[in-house]
Amino acid sequence: MNDYQNILEYFNQLPTLVKVVWVISIALFTLILGLIAYLKILRINLRRNEIKRIKYQEIYEEHLINYLYAGDNIDEISTEQREFINKMKKDISIEFNRNILVAVMTKLVNDISGEVATAIYKLYTETGLIDYSLQKLKARKWEIIASGIYELTQFEVKHVYKEIEKLIKHPHKEVRNQAQLYLVNLFQFKGLKFLNDLEYQLSEWNQIQLLEILQKFDNQEITDITIWLKSTNISVVEFALKLAKVYNQFESKETLLELLRHDNKELKVQTINVLTYFYDTECKTYLKSNFHQSSESEQIAFFKLLENVAENSDEDFVIENISHPNFKIKLAALKILKDINPDKFNYLEIAKNNTDAKRIIEFIEHN
Amino acid sequence: MDSSTVRIILLIIHILFFIYAFSVVFSYIFLSFISAIESSQYLKRNSFVNYNEILSSTVSPSISIIAPAYNESLNIIENVRSLLSSHYVNYDVIIVNDGSKDDSLEKLIKAYDLVNVNYLINYQVPTKPLRAGVFKSTNPAFEKLIVVDKENGGKADALNCGLNISQSKYVACIDVDCLLLEDALQKMIKPFLELTDVKVIASGGVIRIANACEIKEGKLININLPNKFIEIAQILEYLRSFLLGRMAWSRLNGLLVISGAFGMFDKKIAIDVGGYDTNTVGEDMEIIVRMRRRMEEENIKYRVAYIPDPLCWTEAPDNYKILISQRNRWTRGTIEVLKKHRKIGFNPKYKLLGILSYPYWFFYERLAPIIEVIGMLYFAVLIALDNVKWDYAFAFFVSAYLFTIMFTIIAIYSEELTYHQYTKKGTGFKLLLVTLLEPFVLHPFILYAAIKGNIDYYFNKKIKWGEMTRKGLSKTES
Repeated sequence: MNDYQNILEYFNQLPTLVKVVWVISIALFTLILGLIAYLKILRINLRRNEIKRIKYQEIYEEHLINYLYAGDNIDEISTEQREFINKMKKDISIEFNRNILVAVMTKLVNDISGEVATAIYKLYTETGLIDYSLQKLKARKWEIIASGIYELTQFEVKHVYKEIEKLIKHPHKEVRNQAQLYLVNLFQFKGLKFLNDLEYQLSEWNQIQLLEILQKFDNQEITDITIWLKSTNISVVEFALKLAKVYNQFESKETLLELLRHDNKELKVQTINVLTYFYDTECKTYLKSNFHQSSESEQIAFFKLLENVAENSDEDFVIENISHPNFKIKLAALKILKDINPDKFNYLEIAKNNTDAKRIIEFIEHN
Repeated sequence: MDSSTVRIILLIIHILFFIYAFSVVFSYIFLSFISAIESSQYLKRNSFVNYNEILSSTVSPSISIIAPAYNESLNIIENVRSLLSSHYVNYDVIIVNDGSKDDSLEKLIKAYDLVNVNYLINYQVPTKPLRAGVFKSTNPAFEKLIVVDKENGGKADALNCGLNISQSKYVACIDVDCLLLEDALQKMIKPFLELTDVKVIASGGVIRIANACEIKEGKLININLPNKFIEIAQILEYLRSFLLGRMAWSRLNGLLVISGAFGMFDKKIAIDVGGYDTNTVGEDMEIIVRMRRRMEEENIKYRVAYIPDPLCWTEAPDNYKILISQRNRWTRGTIEVLKKHRKIGFNPKYKLLGILSYPYWFFYERLAPIIEVIGMLYFAVLIALDNVKWDYAFAFFVSAYLFTIMFTIIAIYSEELTYHQYTKKGTGFKLLLVTLLEPFVLHPFILYAAIKGNIDYYFNKKIKWGEMTRKGLSKTES
């Protein structure tokens, strides 16, 4: 008691600033003790949850295999399967279990296809997991909405597409992304309709994802991409250019040639790249006449095109550029010259006073 | 000077010290909050990402991993194998043998069936000349590997050589002894591809300490906490720095440094600014500052991204001699970079870079050790003059210590709530124990290294990189 009073007296006679610092120190000390205690609890819980997660994952995996083997007819649910469904219905009322079951089912549908996948989709509906996913679409938090769309995509729930379509214009990027992935995963090219009036930019990441999904499906009816090539949304045009290349859309060539007059330099480069892939020669005249007004990237892209389609008539233009300050253009020009007029290439004077050109010529000669 | 003038001067000094200490504390609290928001959003944003779609895509952008190697003969084969095991499809690995005096090149030639090839290099950034030339493998299994043998020019010069060799759109610059996780490239490339309103010029990753971890065939098998105090203390330091500091600066788009151990760049921009500066030991920080500076000067909206996932694991010094040498170099690097780019400091023309990032780095990184030492010397003088107000001193000392502890515990929390890498029982206790001791045991060495760095910078210009003897991660292989 005496000690306590002494401390109190000592504290009372301290200057205000020191008092404040001690109060802060006591607060910090208490906070640290609390944090240490909670850290202990947190680590125990994390470990426990991990063990529990692995255990439940194994159980659900086993149950799912049994479920799949218990049914003879894909359209009918056997008694054993019904029992499993009823058990699952109880289990999934707990969020932790539900998440594990969804994760296990998702992993499974990603590894399988055909009737087995259909059986899993059916199970997703029968257990009521679908209702949880649909409920997520009405959530306020974007991450919950996105996770709902993700689940509906994984289990191929097509009938909710109208609700998902509305989310294409959601203010949060991740929700929009998931909605786009849903539409393309489930409806392939038809799902790309959202591009017609897309206001947001489609990121390169999304473009690659959408393209990869489309490529998973064979024998698709490919939509006319002209409308997208003419879009005012640059990212939609970029995506359409990728589609043109991947799906060999030669019939869009006229629109591609128009794109060479687009204001966006990067878009022009990408258009030239597609035309290069198509071995197009029609664009040469326009690109040659505008060569000096073009950006360096466009010039490089054009020379890449010429590497594929150069003819003797291009010789003067090519020779004009063998001293181009850009290394890539110089290299391409010399390569082309060797192809279209080897004699002239062999007697080139440029190498005498241009180190780069000398190296390039030596390289071309040896390759 | 009369005594009242001296008293006023002393009072001003006290107030300045107080403001400095208070602003440090405030900035740390502020950064912790920002980092918590950013970490949580990052995890949410990436919880649905299917990286496999990017991996196999034929239109995924190309990436070159550039790894300079100098006398790395001991582990070079294993390290290259680790770099070649990425799951990303469209990438190559460029090992730049920077004039090694050991048998690194011979080992690589033998292990990977390399042959000298005729390779046309576009010398966009000047570098030291090639020595034995460029090598590629005759074995299709190693078709992604390019080995360049050049004269010694230092790490920056080797990286520049890699930039010249690379044909890819993006380059990942990495220390050859780092262990890169298989999904590192697709995670690092994501910010470059997903942001549509700004240009991402670089992305940096978290560096984790691999000492005591179990590694097999270039892959991380088991994460262990080392036993040595110095190693655990560095783990805490890295957690604070990467999970709290850099995460927050990334959110503010004020990141001034991307670790030289692992960073990805838009190659065109890196070359346009002239590549790595070979005249500094802080080349990793310098190139970022220069790239940012260029973006600001050209008024281009840009971002330096940051990935908190534990993607890159490295060996940390396990003795004080090497640690001091490393921190000495970091200090000199910081001084050199800040001095070289002093034009941007406090300059509103450079927006956040000039009015926040640079001043923060200047006051709280560059000056911190100097101010700390001045404070200690002043305290010693006061003790000698028997002029210490012990009530004040003791109270402030206790609160500063407790704040340090709390900040480190928050960093541990951040780790537990996000990646929870140290799962084994007893790890939490060890981390807490080291947290309590670190300010007294590790910090004095860090302070000493920083002061020595300052002295070396001004009075011993000949010192460049210093020694970093590596035991090699493969030593822990099971």
